[in-house]
Amino acid sequence: MERISITLALASASLRSEFQYRANAMMSVIGGIIYQLTGFLIVWIIVNRFNTIGGWSLAEITFLYGMRLTSHGIFYMCFSQLFELDRVLITGEFDRFLVRPLSPLLQLFTRKLRVNCFGDLIGGGALLAFAWRGLDIDWSPLAVGYLLLAVVGGALVEGAVQIAMGALSFRFLNTIALRTTINEVFNQYGNYPQRIFPPLLQYVLTFGLPVAFVAYFPASTVLDRSNELLVSPWLAAAAPLVGLALFLLALRIWRRASRRYQSSGN
Amino acid sequence: MTWSRNVPALVAVARMQMRILYTYRVNAMFSMVLVGVQIYLLTVIWQAAYGNRTEVDGIAIGQLLVYLTLANLQVWFLRPKMAEDIQERIRQGQIGFDLSRPVGYPSQLMASAIGDMIGGLPILLLGFPVAFIAGELQRPASLEAGFGYTAALILAWLVAALLNLLVGLISFWTVEMNGFRMIYTLVGNFATGALVPLWFVPDAMRTIIQLLPFQAIAFIPVSIYVGEPATGSIGTALIVQAMWVGLLILFIRWVWGQAFRHTVIQGG
Repeated sequence: MERISITLALASASLRSEFQYRANAMMSVIGGIIYQLTGFLIVWIIVNRFNTIGGWSLAEITFLYGMRLTSHGIFYMCFSQLFELDRVLITGEFDRFLVRPLSPLLQLFTRKLRVNCFGDLIGGGALLAFAWRGLDIDWSPLAVGYLLLAVVGGALVEGAVQIAMGALSFRFLNTIALRTTINEVFNQYGNYPQRIFPPLLQYVLTFGLPVAFVAYFPASTVLDRSNELLVSPWLAAAAPLVGLALFLLALRIWRRASRRYQSSGN
Repeated sequence: MTWSRNVPALVAVARMQMRILYTYRVNAMFSMVLVGVQIYLLTVIWQAAYGNRTEVDGIAIGQLLVYLTLANLQVWFLRPKMAEDIQERIRQGQIGFDLSRPVGYPSQLMASAIGDMIGGLPILLLGFPVAFIAGELQRPASLEAGFGYTAALILAWLVAALLNLLVGLISFWTVEMNGFRMIYTLVGNFATGALVPLWFVPDAMRTIIQLLPFQAIAFIPVSIYVGEPATGSIGTALIVQAMWVGLLILFIRWVWGQAFRHTVIQGG
């Protein structure tokens, strides 16, 4: 209980400190929105000209894109500091985390907030709202509840991958280039209906790197398209649970790896 | 001529930039992997969009795939590097040293851009196999297209380097320009036509993009390469590019005249 309140206090402190420079923070948020919209512009232009991509309509792809983006926004809001881990280890800042009464991982997460995550959240929300009207779906409370769980689950999948990969930094110190590359694969390949990829790549993006679990599987479930997947519809529907499981696994990996921590000593 | 007297100094600046580039070679390798990832994704998406059609709006699927591959490789190679550097030097006050050198600052910057380009060539050679595996590469559509592309590529480099220089010079007015630069990069990236070839962009948007210099960086040269020159003929396409080079040089001269008077050396 105490842990939660400390974490929240730290998180709100980093939120406030970010908005001390209001103009700069707003610029970052707007930059974040524009960044995501140019990505979506490609999809919009293609579907506008060709009507579908892989049989998916504009509303359906927008829904998928919006889900992925919202998940990514949550991921980035909570875990963006994983991308600073190398620096934290190299400068010895991690030593400070070890002497405080809160888990080092939580201290890392609440270290600073990158406000462009709000750009992702606003952009993702807007795309979902836009898709909402074009889709012929019965929005029962169950469906809405599933959507919420799926969006959180997607953030956990991305978080799990980055935590597990981040654990490598305890051995190799410099893994940021690898991790940003993986993040970029999620950002680019997660937004499209994966049935346009050859089967081998679909398996790789499911079992090799769990990109499909972030948004493609749950979106297929909501859109009643899970019969066109290469995996069982049940596995696709269970995406939020898979997210939770992967996240717990990643935490174990992190704990094991962090025992090897050796201070850079300064 | 004073200009020729400066050549050894400019060569030294260019060589220095080449060395800087090689200290960051690991990042260059990873960014190359990312280009491969992006090229592959784009070719798959466009193939899915084409579906069973072999030709849309007069563009064959083969031409389109070569276009996407080459355009993205090219944009990666021509990606801007120096604007950030100028900003950092202004913030730290090192710009004072740059300005006190007997060679004009814009010339120094162009020299380091040349160093950057030459230093990047070996990395580009490694990029070709990556692009070949990820996308599709073929010979130019014709002998003419090949020669036209070579000329257009040189002009494309000039436009990219000059635009970058221009953005860098804006730092003389405002040091905090991360937001501006981000928006500029994004609009610029899209307007080069590397992600969506301008043939397929809706009319209103295409008209705006054609008024901007960015299409000279990717769309014009690569459309020549695949045999569908942007303006209808190779000659006029090259003229559009050359016009942008001329305009940008004039504009930079004017901006530099203004910026020089504005300079504040921080610290010292």
